[in-house]
Amino acid sequence: MPLSRRTLLAAAALPAFGARAAEPIVAGVSGPLTGPNAQYGAQWKRGFDLALEGINGAGGVKGRPIEYDFQDSQSDPRQSVAVAQKLVSDPRIVIELGDFASPASMAASPIYQRAKLVQFGFTNSHPDFTKGGDHMWSNSTSQAEEQPNLAKYAAKLGFKRPALLHLNTDWGRTAKDAFMAAAPGLGMQVVAVEGYLAAEQDFRPTLVRARDSKPDGLVLLSYYADGALISRQTRDTGLKLPILAGTSNYSPKFIELGGQGVEGDWVMSTFFPGDPRPEVVDFVARYRKKYDQEPDSFSAGAYDTMVLFAMLCDKYGATREGMQAGLLDIKDVPSVIYGKVAFDPATRRVQGATYKLLQVRDQKFVVWDGTAPAAG
Amino acid sequence: MSVMLECRSVTRRFGGIVAVRPIDLTLHAGEFLSIIGPNGAGKTTLFNLISGHDAPDAGRITLEGVEIAGHAPETIAARGLARTFQHGRVFANMSVRDNLLVGAHHRLRAVKPRLPGLGAVAELALALLRPPGVRAEEAALNREIEAIAAIFGDRLTPRLDQPAYALSYANRRRVEIARALALRPRVLLLDEPTAGMNESETLEMQHIIGDLKAGGQTILLIEHKLDLVMRLSDRVIAMDDGAKIAEGKPDAVRQDPAVIEAYLGHRAMGEAL
Amino acid sequence: MSSWLDYTINGLIIGNIYALVAVGLALIFGVSHLINFAHGSVYAVGAYIGWACFTYLHAPLAVTAPTVMIACAGLGVLIERVGLRPLAGSARIAPLLATIGISLVLDQLLQIIFTPDPRALTSPLPNWRIQIGGGTIGALDLLIAATGIVSAGVLYFFLRFTKLGWAVRATAQDRDAARQMGVDTDRVNMAVFAIASALGGLSGLLVGMYFNHIDPAMSFAATLKGVVAQVVGGMGNVPGAIFGSLLLGLTESYGVAIFGSSYRNLFSFALLLLILVLRPNGLFASARSTPPEPLTGSFVMPSRPVRVPRIAVIAAIAVAAIVPLAGAAPYVLQVLTNAWLFAMLAISLTLVAGTLGQISLGHASLLLIGAYASALLALDLHWPVWASVPAAGLVTALLGTALIAPAFRLRSHYLSIATLGIGEMVGLVILNWESLTRGPMGVTNIPPLQVGGVELDNPRAAYWVTLGVLVLLALLQTRLLRSHLGRTFRAIRDDDVAARAHGISLGRYKAIAFAVGGFSAGISGGIAAHLYSYINNETFTSTVSISALTMVILGGLGNVAGAVFGAVALTALPEMFRGTAEYRMLIYGLALLLLVRFRPQGVFGTT
Repeated sequence: MPLSRRTLLAAAALPAFGARAAEPIVAGVSGPLTGPNAQYGAQWKRGFDLALEGINGAGGVKGRPIEYDFQDSQSDPRQSVAVAQKLVSDPRIVIELGDFASPASMAASPIYQRAKLVQFGFTNSHPDFTKGGDHMWSNSTSQAEEQPNLAKYAAKLGFKRPALLHLNTDWGRTAKDAFMAAAPGLGMQVVAVEGYLAAEQDFRPTLVRARDSKPDGLVLLSYYADGALISRQTRDTGLKLPILAGTSNYSPKFIELGGQGVEGDWVMSTFFPGDPRPEVVDFVARYRKKYDQEPDSFSAGAYDTMVLFAMLCDKYGATREGMQAGLLDIKDVPSVIYGKVAFDPATRRVQGATYKLLQVRDQKFVVWDGTAPAAG
Repeated sequence: MSVMLECRSVTRRFGGIVAVRPIDLTLHAGEFLSIIGPNGAGKTTLFNLISGHDAPDAGRITLEGVEIAGHAPETIAARGLARTFQHGRVFANMSVRDNLLVGAHHRLRAVKPRLPGLGAVAELALALLRPPGVRAEEAALNREIEAIAAIFGDRLTPRLDQPAYALSYANRRRVEIARALALRPRVLLLDEPTAGMNESETLEMQHIIGDLKAGGQTILLIEHKLDLVMRLSDRVIAMDDGAKIAEGKPDAVRQDPAVIEAYLGHRAMGEAL
Repeated sequence: MSSWLDYTINGLIIGNIYALVAVGLALIFGVSHLINFAHGSVYAVGAYIGWACFTYLHAPLAVTAPTVMIACAGLGVLIERVGLRPLAGSARIAPLLATIGISLVLDQLLQIIFTPDPRALTSPLPNWRIQIGGGTIGALDLLIAATGIVSAGVLYFFLRFTKLGWAVRATAQDRDAARQMGVDTDRVNMAVFAIASALGGLSGLLVGMYFNHIDPAMSFAATLKGVVAQVVGGMGNVPGAIFGSLLLGLTESYGVAIFGSSYRNLFSFALLLLILVLRPNGLFASARSTPPEPLTGSFVMPSRPVRVPRIAVIAAIAVAAIVPLAGAAPYVLQVLTNAWLFAMLAISLTLVAGTLGQISLGHASLLLIGAYASALLALDLHWPVWASVPAAGLVTALLGTALIAPAFRLRSHYLSIATLGIGEMVGLVILNWESLTRGPMGVTNIPPLQVGGVELDNPRAAYWVTLGVLVLLALLQTRLLRSHLGRTFRAIRDDDVAARAHGISLGRYKAIAFAVGGFSAGISGGIAAHLYSYINNETFTSTVSISALTMVILGGLGNVAGAVFGAVALTALPEMFRGTAEYRMLIYGLALLLLVRFRPQGVFGTT
């Protein structure tokens, strides 16, 4: 007994010595660990942890390990502002990552801006997020860029009169407007637009409404959980339409929750496991090994963000000023979602994500082989 | 004597059951009228119809010549009709003082100016600002309810600032009556004021009600304790099965065969005669 | 017009699903007069147990369903025995709060055990479908419908023809009389919780299979829809709950048909309000003239409130005022600023819920109104912030009172559910009224707080401003409570029948109380908008309403000091447990349960 206790003590003491030798570099994270959006916070952690395993396993940044301090905000603006004050006054924190939803992120933006701490809202596609101040940055795919790509694929699939279902939040709304703007130029006329409420599960009446406008395809601007529900329920309403879903549907959960109901659906994605790029191959292989599941766009976004952070620390110094200066300057960051990342200093966002069209075949995502669906 | 309260052919049905058959009732100023009858005779329903807590299906009710049938209870109260409740409805979480002050609510003037449309706003502003007139009114009302509490000897006065839930059952009944008196009623409706009281408490209550009568208070009483009814009433109405079966001087009603029959029919009350 | 057949069938299918939840809620309400907010959590637990049976044991449905029912019945018994029975004899509000706490704990446990990720609960039923109208229905739809009908039939048989069923009905009608007649009401309660929870668990399993989707957040939505459905039918009425559910499903489906998906819940809540206003006790309620006469105050717990001496109040304010000078970190100031904002909401709610006795479950909508009013006045009409915030208070006072006014004639739970509905409707109107509110994109670039051109955008200034406004509002409310209005409000709370008999017109005084409450809440929302600089329809959700209610009950109903205390305590607690990350809401729920258990009348007592 005494022996094992002594061993334990010695083991516990070791990291302390190590820490003295190399002070960790800390990123503050504001996001949902509890509450209705907790699933996304859990995905973030998987992405962060996987990235850090690689970075710290290779000796960290100039010998210093990278850590993150995840503060649960439930993606609630009241709590995200408190978290913001906590993080800005913590001298260890050199960058802030998050929050998840725009109301929570944007309520905290003034605090980060005043403290000159970079707020890196890597899921915040709200067009006004980065307008909150020059310290608000995002590598979230911009809807203005993503939706024309989705519309192009819709046209390639032969959609002429698609019906569009979107989540009626700031995100879904931005996406819808961007899609609608791109559609006419591609010879498409969107015949029905239905904004559905967050947390909705029953889409049958919505689909009947869409059906009555006689569409030839269905476009889903949804998250994977709602996307799977909608796709399942289409056959129940007698709709036999090709379905095309946006990038936030790319998740193994889309197939798990959708089952046979999503078989044959097309999903656009910024990355997919079969991608031969080394960043993707490495990410996917390690993710599968560590978590025994497939990554999704949320964990990929978190992974990319942590890799970017490590690079910023390495090249520009692990300070708050270094982060801001680095983001203005950095180029060619390896990324799972983008080919190489660089920020547009005016919008503080990233351009140039690569979009692929996948299809669910035999309950797996495969790259679309280019055959358009039989006319529905 | 002027007529204070009058009911003409007042009727109330609940589904298929007729709770009050067309009934007539006249109460004159200063008069003490009692309603007796077995349980379920429709006495309390009649009270609810008069006080506005229920609306008659047919018939007229007038208070000092003004039609009140179907009017809201607060409107009827503002016309000067106060009532107590059979099982007591004191405001349990409020002090005795506040209970009595609520009784005087409709007499608030300084803090409730009659402004069409803006009355509620003015009332809120005056309650917050508390100008001298409002404070004076509140002080006067406090003195007045202390005087009303004193009617009940030392039963209520020492307990004015205790919460009502802490009072004994009999004291809660007293609070209920004192609260009704604080309204300075033109007509007072008492629904079994001595229910649940022992003999000496009943006697004490009998004296208090007697004093009210002597002071000229117009009273309509529901009561099972016939001794009290016989001693105090100017007239008595007997009800059974929703209908008036006898009316007249106390002794005459007591000896009316229909009344005896009604009570014997309801064996439990037969003993009371 | 074949689509109308489809809309009807779809409405009936989803209504069918609501019915499974509503029946359990109705049963518990019928016997315990309690809205069981934990019912949705039992439903979620049932779904997860089913998932575990399918996934780990590869059990067939014929084994899984009874397992789920037995386990959930056990959970129901546990909830009743451990969570609720110790509160028998305290005010009705204490068990309500306890069910909220239990729900929080169960949801958090699910999330910790099963992770927050949604999971597929795949139906093992054969995959054949029948064509009806333009759509199809499958085996599972029929099973769900059959479950609803059979469980209603079994319940009917149980209530009519078994001894325990008689006891349940007797207890539902008059608990005291039943007890005097020798009915073991504790056993009845336990039986009812067991039955309702077994049904709840089974519905979780079936609904999870229907959507092929379960997640720990599924409970609240289920409770909300179930409560609405059973109120429509008449609370505590089992056939009414089924009918109400089908009607709700149809309304939603037709609402979507006519106006589109984004209006869906707007219609279900509008239906709810319409029915409540026309039939204040639900569609299936029997007419009752006056409510039974209370012998003692039945609503609030008789308690002697803690009298806070004036000197202590002054000292507390003084301490609060010098906190920023004492070197408190901006984080602490921000948490306390949030607490002051919550406290403004809590004093508003404690006035209407505690002093006036009208429990509002939609109070967060007043924050939304205030926030939008101030933000839009400042941005669109270029009002200075010092003017737009008080104006937002007035707008909220007027608008809030006007919205709730049609529900003034409702009593107790019906009023609460109406406020819940109105609250949800405010959010949905804001979402859909884009020309005014900018819809889901929200209002950005709201100017910071400023007085006379000086921007108060540092944590200290924001702290002092909110503290100062709170002290002012709290003092005003204390003064109000000492006036004749205070006793008038309390009289309405204790016994509105007796109050009317003394000339108190309920509508007028309810309006005054809601207006005063609306003012405080509107100011709180207005200030928050300028502090956050961005708001949208999701900034203040129904969870904020529930938090505010827990603060008010924790502090003691009607108690201004208690409301402030409750706001500080419940804002600070989750922050203190921050180090426990995923566990912090679980700890918060447990702390809440302990507080209700040992101090059901609130820390400061009801006034």
